[in-house]
Amino acid sequence: MKTDLAVIGQGVVCPAGIGMAALLHAQPSETISPFVSRPDRHWPTFRVNLNDPSLQRWQKQPRLRRASPIGYFLVEAAEQALMGSSAAHRAQTGLIVAFSTGCLGYSRRFFESIVAEGQKSASPMLFPETVFNSPVSHVASVLNLEGSAYALVGDEAAWIGALKTAWLWLEQEQVEQVLVLGAEEFESASLDAYYNAGWLKHHDDKSVFIPSEGAAGVLVRRTQPGDANIISQMEDGFIYRSKTEARSAAQRCFQQFDSSMPCAENSQRHWLGDVERKLLQARYRKLDKHAYLGEATTASAAWNTLRALALLDQSETRLLIPISGKTHQIAALQVEKIY
Amino acid sequence: MRRPVVVTGMGAVTPLGETLPQSWKALIAGQDAETSLELFDTSGCRCHRAAVASLPPLPHVKPKALSRISRASRLAIPAAREALASAQLLDSEGQSLLPVLPLSVSTTAGGMAFGEDFFRNILAHKRSRLLGPVARYLPEQQVLDLQKALGFEGPSIIIANACASGANSIGHAAAMISSGMADCVLTGGFEALTELVFVGFDCLHATTTDRCRPFDLKRSGLLLGEGAAFLVLESPEHAGKRGVQPLCRLSGYGHGTDYFHLTQPQSQGEALVKVMRSATDAANIAPQEIGYINAHGTATPVNDGPETLAYRTFYNDDLSHVRISSTKAAIGHTLGAAGSIEALFALMALTTGKLPPQLNLQEPIPEIASALVTEKNASASLSHAMSVNLGFGGSNAALVFSRYEN
Repeated sequence: MKTDLAVIGQGVVCPAGIGMAALLHAQPSETISPFVSRPDRHWPTFRVNLNDPSLQRWQKQPRLRRASPIGYFLVEAAEQALMGSSAAHRAQTGLIVAFSTGCLGYSRRFFESIVAEGQKSASPMLFPETVFNSPVSHVASVLNLEGSAYALVGDEAAWIGALKTAWLWLEQEQVEQVLVLGAEEFESASLDAYYNAGWLKHHDDKSVFIPSEGAAGVLVRRTQPGDANIISQMEDGFIYRSKTEARSAAQRCFQQFDSSMPCAENSQRHWLGDVERKLLQARYRKLDKHAYLGEATTASAAWNTLRALALLDQSETRLLIPISGKTHQIAALQVEKIY
Repeated sequence: MRRPVVVTGMGAVTPLGETLPQSWKALIAGQDAETSLELFDTSGCRCHRAAVASLPPLPHVKPKALSRISRASRLAIPAAREALASAQLLDSEGQSLLPVLPLSVSTTAGGMAFGEDFFRNILAHKRSRLLGPVARYLPEQQVLDLQKALGFEGPSIIIANACASGANSIGHAAAMISSGMADCVLTGGFEALTELVFVGFDCLHATTTDRCRPFDLKRSGLLLGEGAAFLVLESPEHAGKRGVQPLCRLSGYGHGTDYFHLTQPQSQGEALVKVMRSATDAANIAPQEIGYINAHGTATPVNDGPETLAYRTFYNDDLSHVRISSTKAAIGHTLGAAGSIEALFALMALTTGKLPPQLNLQEPIPEIASALVTEKNASASLSHAMSVNLGFGGSNAALVFSRYEN
């Protein structure tokens, strides 16, 4: 699908720090996290520093007092992307957030209390925060965004679904601009999930799949004179149910784009990253200055998009960004410099 | 909306029936599906009743594979199959005639029962052989189940806007068609009862231990339910090329967010008024032209009051032209499926002229009493019908269906 989404703002919360500079230049530190099933066993993870003043400032907001970490990641990334947006513009801003597992920490705490202490002990404070769109509502409320708000769910490709939805809202003139974000929070139960999926293993003898967390997003509008970088094509819906099907789905997806277009190297350490590398390696423009930030599903998709946009500012005029969903579908988008 | 959108197919599995005709017949007859909840233990809860759906058979799925399909998928697949069949989009082997078919769906919990199973196991320190539960709880797995069972692929979107999601998914599908992004979309919502969600509403004291009494002064809470509903939306040109007669138009969609509180609407229902106006503006009609509203009407103390005031504001205090009912008293609150199932009920009211009665009334809220559907005013010739939903996080959505005139 051809589009003309101008990227006019961006925001980042990642394990390497807060803001674009951290995304492009900083190194995250590993933290060791225990499995729920075996608390004596651990795996390296990348965690966002919740004590960072940029995040702590939001914890004082009444609406965010009980919010989960994902709520803080989101509101900070959103505020960065909105920098420069007037109150009038904010009133005409839509909000779309793509999640994979959402407020997993609260969901675990809520269910664990039921299992451990019985249904009577279930906390009415926790349950509302387990709902997917709770952090979306918090962000819109705190930042006075008065347009529509959607919470979307899926694998990494939900990031493309969110961008396509933004294009739809803008095309239908429902709002002037849309804030599109991807966000995930780490919870030890994820380690058990990844372990059972067979993903927690050394990737190529020297690196390892590291679960991560954070948020990132872009503020987009229909292209206007003076806009620099645009998202010019998005393709999704190439589903798979096996590794063989995934390779075929990736081939069909990438064939939708100009075959001579350079490609932003995928920094994910996952078997789908290998599929991508085999298909696209000859076209890679290395993002090798950038650190590996771990695996944070929709947030990773957003980080990769922002890194590619930064490369447009440095050297490239257009780039293909593969967005391979780990559980459902292969997708990709194209970004271009237009001035 | 720029390009017209028509409905050509519909299907539903609800606690009242395994198909839309079954559900509609029971609904119009004034039946409700409240029953004792046996799907999981509720002994520690205040409430022990819900509206439970009977799972239709899945003849195309091998018995061994059936245990690997979530309850959510077992509700969604037959509803989607019924919708595709009624749109004449299924071949003789039950597969989609369109190999690429965009999908816009909603849920709030996906296959959460599998997620609960996974959590229980790891909390009990079981470590391995848990791939099945963890993979199948993800909502995209239900999308894959639908795509596999019905033989299509293509772009899909899963909207999780709490209890308005089902209306959002339909509205999103309509926007895809009206913008030219797609010519035909399968859309709807699904939700299965799960312990985590049931206990969540129970601990909030949102569920009732009495009867579910929407828009009644004696209302004390909601009845949870489950189900799925799907529609096939198309451009009239696409339907025309296939030789299919549209059932009606989807003429308006409004959506917005009420930021007053995470779990409560603003006391005057202002956001809902804005959303309903947005939907009627899109349909290019006046509020008075809406003859029936399938209301959200959860029967919780905090919802029905503001919703009532929203209707009064929307109609300038004159409710004489409209009939209103909440079908949640009959099928329960189906959360992520509610907006889709209730949209189909509004659509059926439009096309049949029969209105679902408001069940369990004892002492109707005076401000809306005259508009509530009773046995005496349960039929009407409608040109337009609306379905309205609100949800946690302040999600509000309204859909307008209009008669199709060639």
